[in-house]
Amino acid sequence: MPTKPLSVRYEDDLRLFASRWRQAGTVLLVLAVLLYPLRASSLWLTLGTEILVFIVGAVGLMILTGFTGQISLGHAAFIGIGGYSAAILGGTFGIPFWLVIPVAGILSAAVGLAIGPFALRLRGLYLAIVTLGLVFLVAHVLRSFPDLTGGLSGISVPMLWWFDGPVVSASQIELLGTPLSASIQKFYIFLVLAVLAVLFATNLRRSHTGRAMAAVRDRDVAAAVMGVDVARTKYVAFGVSSFLAGVAGAMFGWEAQFLTIDATVNLIISIEFIAIIVIGGIGTVVGAVLGAVAFVVLGQLADALLGELPLLSELSSSQRRASFQAVLVAVFLIAEPFGLYGIWLRIKFYFMAWPFRY
Amino acid sequence: MQTFLQLLFSGLALGSIYALVALGFVVIYRSSQVFNFAHGEFVMLGAFLMISLVRGGVWWIVALLITMAVTGAVGMGVERTVLRPMIGRPVFVTVIVTIFVGAIMRVAINVIWGVGERGMPTPWDPTGVVELLGARVLFNSVAAILATAIVLIGFYLLFQRSRIGVGMRATASDQEVALGLGIPVGRVFGFSWFLAGSLAALAGVFLGMFPRIVDGNIWLIALVAFPAVLIGGLESPLGAVIGGFALGVVQLLAQGYINPLLGTFGNNFHQVFPYVVMIGFLMFRPYGLFGTHEVERV
Repeated sequence: MPTKPLSVRYEDDLRLFASRWRQAGTVLLVLAVLLYPLRASSLWLTLGTEILVFIVGAVGLMILTGFTGQISLGHAAFIGIGGYSAAILGGTFGIPFWLVIPVAGILSAAVGLAIGPFALRLRGLYLAIVTLGLVFLVAHVLRSFPDLTGGLSGISVPMLWWFDGPVVSASQIELLGTPLSASIQKFYIFLVLAVLAVLFATNLRRSHTGRAMAAVRDRDVAAAVMGVDVARTKYVAFGVSSFLAGVAGAMFGWEAQFLTIDATVNLIISIEFIAIIVIGGIGTVVGAVLGAVAFVVLGQLADALLGELPLLSELSSSQRRASFQAVLVAVFLIAEPFGLYGIWLRIKFYFMAWPFRY
Repeated sequence: MQTFLQLLFSGLALGSIYALVALGFVVIYRSSQVFNFAHGEFVMLGAFLMISLVRGGVWWIVALLITMAVTGAVGMGVERTVLRPMIGRPVFVTVIVTIFVGAIMRVAINVIWGVGERGMPTPWDPTGVVELLGARVLFNSVAAILATAIVLIGFYLLFQRSRIGVGMRATASDQEVALGLGIPVGRVFGFSWFLAGSLAALAGVFLGMFPRIVDGNIWLIALVAFPAVLIGGLESPLGAVIGGFALGVVQLLAQGYINPLLGTFGNNFHQVFPYVVMIGFLMFRPYGLFGTHEVERV
């Protein structure tokens, strides 16, 4: 039975896939995810794509809130900037999606960096509410230019392969007997983005900057005394986080195909991302992924199951989701502050020490 | 000049509601270091309960007292069941918990009362006006300002003179020392949530009179009142009151004078203007007007 080799050097501790178990697990996971869209029903394919969007966004928020400890209620603002960039660049200027992704990220990161000076002065609640203000401001700006953003009636978000070129649509190619429909292509494209985001965050956490972020989170004055450049660290956190949120916003737009300001740039979306990282486990990249999966899958199940109960069936679908989400997060915060990742660690340690309790 | 006075009086009336809401935030934050994002839902609960009671034939003033007591009791219940286990956890965690408590309350209120619009009943003629320095002021506005003034005086006396008020101030400055001196800190927490809940209910009743419509979106008032709390300083009741009145006046003056200047950008600009002011203000005074400047130690 392969076990984790004894770490004798620091590099051993830092390795991404240290044990044979983990390597085997990774290969299986990759295969499963690659095969998923070919076999899933269209509902579950949509849910899978949604999960990938949420993973990218949640990794962004995790870097800011989980790694660096800066509370942000403004994630929806960056999602909105990304989504509307994708809509305007794709719809009005006919720019292909692979160019939209970095542009949407950079536009969003620019706004994120503008928050930087506040993050240097404010902390905790004050910062949270300034970022909340950002959500209202972005929504107001989007509403004020109806020629560009479609105003209250919304805007469609085309996903183009090439300049002014064809929309991503069904192709002739077949894979394992399944024709590659537009949604399957979308799934693979989003999968690449999500994997890149997760790898990036994992590596960031192991780097100099990542350790500086953890130091700032735990006590920023102490970090400054030890020679960490607090200002630079916070700027990087905001920049990277809002870049990823912008990319997630563009993905969100392509997935939904149609955006309205009220449904995209609002506090609820920010809170959903907070719920994801809390459910998954704050401060870990795995937490962002687990949280996104749990959020979407449990939300769907809750919607289906709670609808059968007598009193709850009178709620609308979104109300059911919201209340289920709320109860879930409250239970996690009270009972298991480290989220799903914490539960996983406890199971792992239990079996590692088995048959002993410690 | 007349327009200015008109806007000023309306602003003060709106500001008195903001002041009540902001004061609720501060009371809870001072005693238990919890920033209550569910406050808007208490406002909502107060407004809906009041309407049902008055329609059910209860005297207006009795209905108001019952509403305040019930909403306060709900606040106490939330504190005892959800927030008491979170003592000692970071502010961030309690913020998230209250956000979701709010979500649950909102769904519960929607289920009980539905989301339709309804009018807030008033014992006086709701369209009646008084002439004041040439400006026409609604009875509703006068009532809101008077009620707020009475509540604020009551608050001052409570904090300065009463036993529980002194206990609250002691708890605010140091929980452990207060506990050591025999102050029932748990009961102080409960009482401050009760106070905040009843303040929110009062605010809800008067807020319902302004557009004379109560619907499922009334909880958003809490989000609008955030700038008042932060500009005043999170720990300061006086700051909250000043911030609240200033917010109301600034918002209406902006609606009257700034919106028209900005063209299409100015549509509803007054709704985000308080946030713009707040963001600018916090650049220069990161702890608001009267907030305590934290001494940083490692």
